[in-house]
Amino acid sequence: MLVKSICRSILRPRLGLKLSPLRAVHTASDSALSPALLTRARLLAAEHTKLSERLGESFDAKTAKRAGELAPIANILKEWVNANDSIVELKSLLSDPSTDAELRSLATEDLESSHDALPTISDRLKKALIPRHPFADLPCLLEIRPGAGGDEAGLFAFEMLRMYVAFCSRRGLRPTILKQDTEVGPSDDRLSEAVIEIEANGAYDILRTESGVHRVQRVPATETKGRTHTSAVSVMVLPSFPEDGSEMDSALNFEDPNSDYYIDPQEVRVEKMRAGGAGGQHVNKTESAIRLTHIPTNTVVSMQDERSQQANRRKAWQMLRARLAEARQEAREQELMQLRRGILGGVAKMGRGDKIRTYNFGQSRCTDHRTGITIHNLDSILDGGHGLDTVMESVRTWMADSEVEAMIAEDMAKAKKE
Amino acid sequence: MRSRGYPLQYILGDQPFGDLEILCRRGVLIPRPETESYTYQAAKLLRQMALERKGTSNSPDQARPLRVIDLCTGTGCISLLLHALLAPHFQQLEITGVDISPTALGLAQENLEHNLQLGQLASRAGTDIRFHRADVLGYDSDSSVPSIESILQTKFPNFGTLDALPPDQESGCDLLISNPPYISQREFRNGTTARSVRRFEPKLALVPPYSGSGMEDCMPEDIFYHRILTLAFKLKAKLTVLECGDSHQANRVVALHKRLASAESGQFSADVWPIREQDLADNGFHVTDGSRGVIIQTLR
Repeated sequence: MLVKSICRSILRPRLGLKLSPLRAVHTASDSALSPALLTRARLLAAEHTKLSERLGESFDAKTAKRAGELAPIANILKEWVNANDSIVELKSLLSDPSTDAELRSLATEDLESSHDALPTISDRLKKALIPRHPFADLPCLLEIRPGAGGDEAGLFAFEMLRMYVAFCSRRGLRPTILKQDTEVGPSDDRLSEAVIEIEANGAYDILRTESGVHRVQRVPATETKGRTHTSAVSVMVLPSFPEDGSEMDSALNFEDPNSDYYIDPQEVRVEKMRAGGAGGQHVNKTESAIRLTHIPTNTVVSMQDERSQQANRRKAWQMLRARLAEARQEAREQELMQLRRGILGGVAKMGRGDKIRTYNFGQSRCTDHRTGITIHNLDSILDGGHGLDTVMESVRTWMADSEVEAMIAEDMAKAKKE
Repeated sequence: MRSRGYPLQYILGDQPFGDLEILCRRGVLIPRPETESYTYQAAKLLRQMALERKGTSNSPDQARPLRVIDLCTGTGCISLLLHALLAPHFQQLEITGVDISPTALGLAQENLEHNLQLGQLASRAGTDIRFHRADVLGYDSDSSVPSIESILQTKFPNFGTLDALPPDQESGCDLLISNPPYISQREFRNGTTARSVRRFEPKLALVPPYSGSGMEDCMPEDIFYHRILTLAFKLKAKLTVLECGDSHQANRVVALHKRLASAESGQFSADVWPIREQDLADNGFHVTDGSRGVIIQTLR
């Protein structure tokens, strides 16, 4: 195929330079898909054809599901191939000296429109090829905890809680505050920990751009000498599993001992915050706090916001499941990353410990360090408004791009080995 | 008020119980979290039993409603939570809550309506659950309070007849559940019972009245269990769930059941619950004194 060979010829010399080859793929031309990606698309499309044939003979739910997943890729690839074929055809028409003038002008026009359409098709193909995050369809929990910066961090954490609640409400995601602990002090606006539950399916995918350390630079309300302080608030977005795991896919079913997210109840220590003594009608304890400890990982979750111990226990389990699932997923990603790093020598990855965004009040700006985007209307971000949408959207694109880059890198590494 | 030990639930006016919100008022015992656990366990066992029945016999069980008697219902919390837990699994339910206190019965009815309004109960709960005033012990034969027998006779036509009908037939009661007064006079005074409970919650719901007759072959604080177990035999209850004050009392009740059971009343399994460490932990019981429910199942 013509375009493919062009694409190769563009890529080859740059790869030889060993200068961030991944950037090169993207800057070369977005309409030109990398050969690795194209190969992948072809393989998947071939698989789809095979599965469809098999489905024609006999129906099988598993095959149907896989075919359904692959169908969009196959369709977009077909569109892409058609567009390229027509470009080739039009070009040959133009280069043919026997073509008359009228036809020539028509062909030029068609060629232009085909050229314009190609980048969008490529883009769609690229998106379709990115593997979905395993938790993408799940609701989520969002934890906010102040980091370095004392009172000021607590104050800003409170503002971030408000920001996300407003954001979720505006997007129709119905946020529920599961836990809101404030520091003992003169007022209630110093957060020490908060957890919001967003029950909408797919909320994890929307909010996972927010995991990481958020930095704030401003003159705090508590500052008397007018100095600017820098403090940090950490945000964690965790997947929220439904209470009854059996409704989930087998891979995510936490009640299934074979699942990656299974928690053995034997490994969890349950503590009531107050010890025994006479119970039942003899006493009327209002303490309902509960603490769960996952012994192998020493993960501790405590919950005391509800007046019913039963409800606290349910929520604590939900949070423990969420934390362990996220940790296990992260461990798996880390493994992959190690693999890629070994091959390529450094691929950017934002973990939960990395600073991802700065809110600078003095300059009324918000900068996301992953994408480099800066928004100069800080209020539209802190109110959970469209500014935040813009930032999150840019991060989502960045995440998709890095995912593709990593995939290409992996495929290239594999190819090199072969 | 709180500093004098006035219960938080009376100040706030309610207490969560499962997913329900139970209104609380002076004169009626506040629901305890342990009772919540016993109720969940009872509902779980009823569902298991129904599944087993479906597995062994092909008789269409849907024709007969699942019958539940809740003695000493107080706020009605057990009856209401059972309905919330069982309604999705049983097409027909008949839950009868019984108490001697008119104040309690008024509040129980209010709780039924309150949770219907909150949407925590299916609308059929309004007709499935009935609260009745009756004296479970029946010491005063001349009092104006109807005896428990008179109530049960209207619900179960075969009540008390000693015919040899197998217990799973039409006449049976599926669950007899109760959290009766179980504190002894001594434990009420000696500090075992918290001051807040002693001063502000109704003694009627905590300490069984002194019988005086001395006819019962059990300790004074166990007289409710004696009565309820006798009723369980007459009702041919398939499942009996009783909350006790501590594990000693629970063991006494198991022994009492063995004494009262006669050859023709059938075969039973009577156990103290929860025993398994995991069950204790899962239900938030303290390991040393948590096991104080008695669960009796009729074996076939």
